[in-house]
Order: sequence, then C-alpha cells, then structure tokens
Amino acid sequence: MKREIPLFITFITGVLLVIALFVPHKPFGQLQQTFNDWLIIVGGFTMILGLDSLLLHNWEKIKRKKEGWISSAFLIASFFITLFWGFGEGAIAHRSPFDPSATFLRYFYTYVFVPLQATMFSLLAFFIASAAYRAFRAKDGNSTLLLSAAALVMLGRVPAGQEVAPWIFAFVLLLLAYYFFKEGSKTTGTQKTLYLIGALVSILLIYPVFYILLHYLNGIADWIMNIPQMAAKRGIWIGISLGGIAMSLRIILGVEKTYLQ
Amino acid sequence: MRDFLRKAGNIDRRVIYLIIFLAVALTILFKIRFKSTPLPEVKRSYEIINSLPAGSVVMFSIDYDASSMPELDPMLRAMLRHCFEKNLKVIMLGHWPLGLPLGQIALEDVARQYHKKYGVDYVFLGYRPGLQAVMLNLGKEIRSVFSTDYRGTPLDSLPMMRGVHNYNDIAILVGLEAGSVGDMWVQFANARFNQKIILGSTAVITPDLYPYLQAGQIVGLIGGLRGASDYEELVNHPAIASAGMASQTVVHVLIILLILLGNIGYFATRRGK
Amino acid sequence: MNISFNPWVWVAAFLTLSMMSFLYKDNIFYKIGEHIYVGSSAAFMLIYLWYFDVKPKLVDGFMYNTGINKWILIIPALLSLFMLMRFIRPVAWISRWAIAFTVGMGSGLGITGLLQGFLVPQIKATFLPLYVHGSNTLMSIYLSLNNILMVIGTLSAIVYFYFSKEHTGPVKKISQVGITFIMVAFGASFGYTVMARISLLIGRVYFLLHNWLGLV
Repeated sequence: MKREIPLFITFITGVLLVIALFVPHKPFGQLQQTFNDWLIIVGGFTMILGLDSLLLHNWEKIKRKKEGWISSAFLIASFFITLFWGFGEGAIAHRSPFDPSATFLRYFYTYVFVPLQATMFSLLAFFIASAAYRAFRAKDGNSTLLLSAAALVMLGRVPAGQEVAPWIFAFVLLLLAYYFFKEGSKTTGTQKTLYLIGALVSILLIYPVFYILLHYLNGIADWIMNIPQMAAKRGIWIGISLGGIAMSLRIILGVEKTYLQ
Repeated sequence: MRDFLRKAGNIDRRVIYLIIFLAVALTILFKIRFKSTPLPEVKRSYEIINSLPAGSVVMFSIDYDASSMPELDPMLRAMLRHCFEKNLKVIMLGHWPLGLPLGQIALEDVARQYHKKYGVDYVFLGYRPGLQAVMLNLGKEIRSVFSTDYRGTPLDSLPMMRGVHNYNDIAILVGLEAGSVGDMWVQFANARFNQKIILGSTAVITPDLYPYLQAGQIVGLIGGLRGASDYEELVNHPAIASAGMASQTVVHVLIILLILLGNIGYFATRRGK
Repeated sequence: MNISFNPWVWVAAFLTLSMMSFLYKDNIFYKIGEHIYVGSSAAFMLIYLWYFDVKPKLVDGFMYNTGINKWILIIPALLSLFMLMRFIRPVAWISRWAIAFTVGMGSGLGITGLLQGFLVPQIKATFLPLYVHGSNTLMSIYLSLNNILMVIGTLSAIVYFYFSKEHTGPVKKISQVGITFIMVAFGASFGYTVMARISLLIGRVYFLLHNWLGLV
C-alpha cells in the first residue's frame, strides 16, 4: 500500500496529462486544468521540504556548541526575525509584506537580503577569472578552438572589443611564430622545415587577421552565436530532451521509483 | 627569461582578484564609456514593442533573483520605460519567489516616474507555485490562477484587467530569465497558445536560447548586460548597464590576457621539461 | 564624495564587504553572512507560501468559492497536509502520496512540453533549404553555407552524444565533426558566462561606489 498507491497516483496524473495533449476536449482538458490547479496549491509546499532538517541540524550545533555554532545561531535568529517581520507586517500593520510601503520590502529585503545574495554570487567573477587563468590551456586542436571561440565572443560582444581584438590576436600570432621558430631551431630535417613553415604562416596571417577583426569582429561574434553555436546547442538540447522524455516515461510507468525513498 | 615566464604562469589568486576588482572599480570611478551599436536581436525586440498600439498589454515574468540582478534589473527598467512611454499596459508576475520583489520595486519605481496609476496602467499579480501548471492555466483564464492581485483586490475591480482573460489579450510576454523558466514559457505559452515571447536573459543562459530564436519560437532575445545596455541606449536612457559595459570590456580584455599569460607559462614550462 | 547617511545602506555595505572578505580567506564575517542568507531565505519561502499560495488559493478559495468549486479544494488541501506529514516520522510515508502527485504532474508536463514545445519545433526548424537564393551570388553562397552548417552542426552534435553505438567508422567521423561544433558552442558559452559573472561584480561595486560612498 505504501508504495502501490503513490505509483498509481503518479501513473494516473502523468498519463492524463499526456492524453490531454492529444485530446484537449472534455473530460481530459478540464481534468488537466483541475490537476494543474491542484499542483499550483500543492507545489508550494515542496518549497518548505527540508526546512525541518535545516533548523534541527543548526539547533543541534548550537546545543552541543559544535564548531561554527555562532553562525548556526545567526541562521536560526535570521530565520525567526524574517518570519516575524514578514508575518508581523500583515498582523500589525494590516498590509502585505510585499506592499511597496511595507518595511519588510523596503528595509529587510532591499538592504539585507539582496546584498547578501547578490554579493555571494558576485564572488564568481573572481573565481572564473582565476580558473580561466589556471586551467584554460591551448593543449590541442579542440581546446584551441574553444579558446578562440571564447575570445572572439568575449571581445565581439563588448563595446570597443573590435578595436582591441586585432592587437591581441596579432600578438598571439607573433608569439606562435616565435614558438615555432624556437622549436624549429632545436630540430632537424623535415620537422625543422615544418616548424619554419608554421612560423612563416603565423607571420603572414598577422595582417589579414588584424584587418578582418578590425572590421568584422562584431559580425563574426554574431555569426558564431547564430550559426555553429546555435546548431551545436540545438543538437545537445535535442539529446537532453529525448533523455528527459525517456526519464519521465520511466517515472510514469513505475520503472523509476527513487523519488519514493 | 624562462623563469620569468614560469612565474607569469603562477600568479597568486589573490593578486588576480585584486586586479579584477580594481579594473571594475576604476572604470566605474572614472566613468569611462564606450559606444556600441545594438545587437540585431535586441533591436528586433525593441522594434516589436515599439510597434504595439497604445493600450496593448505586455506581461512581464520575473524569473530571476538578486544573484542576477545587475544584468536583468536594468533590462527590466529599460523595457518598462519603453512600455510606459508608449502607453502600453503592464502585467507583472513571476516564478522566482526570492527575486519577484525586485520586479515589483522596479515596476513601482518606473511607474512613478511616468505618473502611471496602479490598476489602470499596470498590475502586479505576484506569484503562484507550479510553473508549467500556472502557464497552462493562464492560457485558459488568468483568474483561475490569480483571482486577485498581490494585495487581494479581485482582478475585475482593476480597470485594466477587465478585458484581459488569457494569452489572447496579451500582445507580448517578456520573460526575464536566469534559469529554465524561459524554456517553459516557450514550451507552454508559445507552443500551446501561440503567445509571442521576448526573452531577456542572463548571459549564462543566453547561448542556450538561440535555437528558439532561429526556430521563431521567440521573437526577440536580449542577452546579459550587453543586451540591457543596448536596450537602455535604444530607449535613450543610458543607466547602470551602459555604465557597466566599459568595466565589462576592460575585464574581458584582462581575462584574455590572463589566459594568454597562463598559456605562456604553461608552454615555457613544457618546453623546459 | 557624497557618502550615504542612511543606516540601512551601511548595513548593506557591511554585509557586502563581509561576503567579499571570503576572497581573502574564509572567516567568521562571511560565515555569518552566509548563514543569515540561508536562514532568511527559508523564512522567506514560508512567508511566500502563505501570501501567494495558501491564503489566496486555499483560505480564500474555501471562503469565497461555492458549490463543487469549494468542496473539490479538499483534495489539494489534503495533499498539502500529506506533504507536511513528512515532518512527523511515524506518518511520514503518507507524504509520498503528495510527492507522487507532484512527480506525476512534473513528468506528464515534462513529456508534453518537451515534445510539443521543443522537439517538434526544433526538428522542424532544422529542415532548412540547402540552397538559398540571395541578392547576389556571394550572398547566395553565404546563406546556403549557413544553412548547411546549421544542419550538419545539429546532426553531428546529436551523433556525438549517441552512445548506444560504438564510435567507429563513419559514426566516429561524424562525431568528430560534432565535437568541433560543440567546442565552438562551449567556447561561446564560456565567453558569455564570463560576461555574466563580471556583470554581477559590476553591480556590487557600483552599489559600493554609488549608493554607499557616493563617489559616482
């Protein structure tokens, strides 16, 4: 009973929605609307799942004075202050805490909640810069392609990028020529010739690359986004969607039951 | 020389943090500005809203929170300006509870600047859980999901809502997206009810939305701070997004130089080995 | 310099700097800020649940609806109650009924949304003419090439992620083409991600320099 009924509920609701897509008339269309309405009500309660463990875990830390208990005390305190402030606004001032004149929105939300959340995520700017510096290496053809696409998009999507990009790419080609030349000087025979050709090609490419980027970088970035990038993303998302549909079918048919644990 | 190159590939992370912080702070402090021409997809979004007759209803969905506020808040404000300037009616709702008040604050703020009246020119519906279920039922009747606005006022008591029942009465839906809610708007409001959609998105998810643009499932796409700054320029009101674009340029160049430096260090070390 | 005298702006600035202090090293100010954020988010959800769900949909529904529309609300009310049973261990199993309902709905909506709203229109949009007549020969070549690239890129990216068949022979060749397109897409995504992250920092720095210190 503890497993069969939930599996049955999942099956019925899932199948009904699929039928309603193809037969949107009575009774399926109407049932779908009713079920949607119920989901709107029940769905809200999923937001608070895990609340008990969050509070209990932190309460335990405070009680046992475990490491970090001060932060836990702040967590519990901020939980109750927010709760009382929000509901208090309704009970005492008789207005929704989300009213533009509500102190909850004007002070707590604007000056406590928003700065905390916004700053926490702004730290990612530093991490991505550091990670790019540390991990982004042009080791082979694919990673060089990735790196070049990234650089073209990063510069092609910002103002003045078109003026800066030619110099950066020209410098890279110059470095490449130097690298080939140095490597070539350590080898002999065909390999040496190949390295020297590489160095020569790099130098010869400097002017055309400089010219093209100076005049067309923004267009190139547009093209990357709209053609090859778009095509690959479409392919990836078609694959993900097929996976999503298969997973949903497994759930509806009761093959996948992990959500009942 | 080689030693120097090796060191170049091994700068302490805190030095990098400081460089990035200073680059952003100094460009803002010295009010450096660069001009750019709006991206085609942003211009198209602007033109679509611009072509709507006065009195048309535009629905905004706030699907982001403070974690992506710097990108989407200026976008929202610029678009609201455009709507109010064109005397369009605005309905606002959202699917990200933690961020929905940001939309409301911006709406009240811009409406005040244009002397717009609540209930007549704009309405804030608020939030309902259920995502796709909300989107589907809005297609039948808005009142089945929101019988009242956020204050508890019945929708029929609000003059501008009297003739607005479902997507048929909404000219454009503008989804401001930091996650996957935009996909759902496309999959449910557009695919089932043919609702015209413009998506404004954080730069992280913008590349994923291009397939929708190419397929015509969305009519416009405004991506990231660049998109926001383009829209600010289009409505002739450069604000925080436009001010931030110079920092964006400087830091992008810096990051590319850092990647280059990292690679020089890497190849110098590899050659050494 | 036009420094703010609003104490709330100072609170926001202090919290902003506390969170940023993590960049130097993990410390008590960051930890406290982080915990305040988590605690208040949880409470925020509860407030939302009441004001935007339980009150308008259930309480007002029971008060103002009539007839069947009123009594049918007993079902979602019960399911919501079952969801809360998760907090009471001996009867926690009953919450599975409510979870089963939300999972069933999610799966059903997932299938229909992806099928109708993604797969069909996206596949349809890939059926592109491989020759496009432009205003001149160069334009015709450019537009046709774009369409060809879009078709090849989409198909080869799908093949790259097709793991049910070993990647040898022609499949390997196609998937190699796929990886080329995917690398360009990942590069573009990386570029855009950098853009997004920097924007977030710009927002906070602007707050410190403008709203707090009044320097700009």
